[in-house]
Amino acid sequence: MKKAWFIGLNTFKESLRKKTLYILLVVALVVIGASKAFSFLTAEEELKMIKDVSFSGIEFFGALIAIFISLTAISNEIEKRTIYTLFSKPITRQNFFIGKFFGTILILLLNFILMSLFFIGLLIFKKSPPDIQVFKTLLLIFIELILIASITLTVATFASDAFNVIFSFFLYIVGHLTSYGNQLADRTENVILKGLWKILHTVVPNYENFNIRDKVVVGIDVSWQYIFKTGIYGILYLAVVLLIGSYFIQKREI
Amino acid sequence: MNVIEIKELTKYYYIGRKKVVIGLENVSFSVEEGEIYGILGPNGSGKTTCLKLLLGILYPTSGEISILGKNQFDIEMKKNVGFLPENPYYYDYLTGPELLKFYGKLFEIPDKTVNERIEKLLYLVKLHEVKKLALRHYSKGMLERIGLAASLINDPKILILDEPTTGLDPIGCIETRDLLIQLKMEGKTILLSSHFLSEVERVCDRIAIFHRGYLLTTGGLDELIKKYNADGLEDLFVKTIQEFDRKGEKK
Repeated sequence: MKKAWFIGLNTFKESLRKKTLYILLVVALVVIGASKAFSFLTAEEELKMIKDVSFSGIEFFGALIAIFISLTAISNEIEKRTIYTLFSKPITRQNFFIGKFFGTILILLLNFILMSLFFIGLLIFKKSPPDIQVFKTLLLIFIELILIASITLTVATFASDAFNVIFSFFLYIVGHLTSYGNQLADRTENVILKGLWKILHTVVPNYENFNIRDKVVVGIDVSWQYIFKTGIYGILYLAVVLLIGSYFIQKREI
Repeated sequence: MNVIEIKELTKYYYIGRKKVVIGLENVSFSVEEGEIYGILGPNGSGKTTCLKLLLGILYPTSGEISILGKNQFDIEMKKNVGFLPENPYYYDYLTGPELLKFYGKLFEIPDKTVNERIEKLLYLVKLHEVKKLALRHYSKGMLERIGLAASLINDPKILILDEPTTGLDPIGCIETRDLLIQLKMEGKTILLSSHFLSEVERVCDRIAIFHRGYLLTTGGLDELIKKYNADGLEDLFVKTIQEFDRKGEKK
């Protein structure tokens, strides 16, 4: 695990020095900052708008960053042939894969913290310091982002970048719609359609589980029990995804 | 004592299930402790494939590899092996010392030891004056030299070098050659691939000639020259390859 950590730190350092992610981060901060433009609303409505836009911005741009960094984390090593030297060292392929995962999460965490601090700063500026519900929402968003990154990273172990980027965005959209699809499936009497939706609902990550912002924005409290349950769902899903990634990196011919 | 043993090693490259290219076909040879063993061959002869199989970077189709009595994937064995790839590519945002430190950590070398080795190796490859320069600003020759330093960071028993003088100027070639002889005198075993015949002739104790994935012949240079009635290494190289191609045409 120590070697995986070193590989992770190296990945983190690489991203920091490349600076390409900063563009995405700046755009995200501009979007979050733009939520202040709704100053013509009442103070309460404006606060809701700031929270809604900021949560959505952090989640959307966080997802973009997660997909972008995990997409290139492995393929860059292969394209630049640095993987040959790395695999000649006393590390396992699992060390490499988990190291890339650590590195990706570190970059994601840094970006997430910067976006969140900016958002919290806005709330404090509006004399409405964040309550625990805000932090619960942010926590679930971050777990969702980890899941998105891990799936893209796993697909990168066996598929091309082009396929991976399409697949990851498709999954991001479907993952947010699967709950609605499931509700529709409950209403249909077509057994095949129902079965297909149930399978899809089980296999595809249900990203909507991590979305509590609609409730938090309007002041509905979300229990710790729900956060814990959703967190466990995220961790279990993550474990399965990482196992699949480890299997494919082991099999892959470089 | 043999430190590297390869038995009936075969590697096919596939697209789908169709056999496309022979990487290596039924190759067997061994490398003795403390010798410099050179793999020679034209481009596409299987030299790099052979080295990648040895390091566990590629999976063999069949055959066996033993390095220091362990298989090619063994982590403990890899702690005793240094590798310089052909046209080395490294993390171009790192500086030379940072790159060496990163690889040193993967070998779990204590910080103090690794820092001492970095200083020593940077002097050895004459890169001590560009410590703060990122690798993306390095010339081809400088990359080759930092690659050589990286392959020595773990003070390996076995050194595997893929075309170690590609990109070096004549002075750099001579210095690398002298370094290889010095490393041999320190007791290291060196396996190198090259298509520079003069370089191989000067440093190698034994050679192997590869062509189209086949091992055509292996042995001591004098022994092979005598066996093939050749006039030097160049003549030996051409003769063995032409003979193989003639046989292939007849088939």
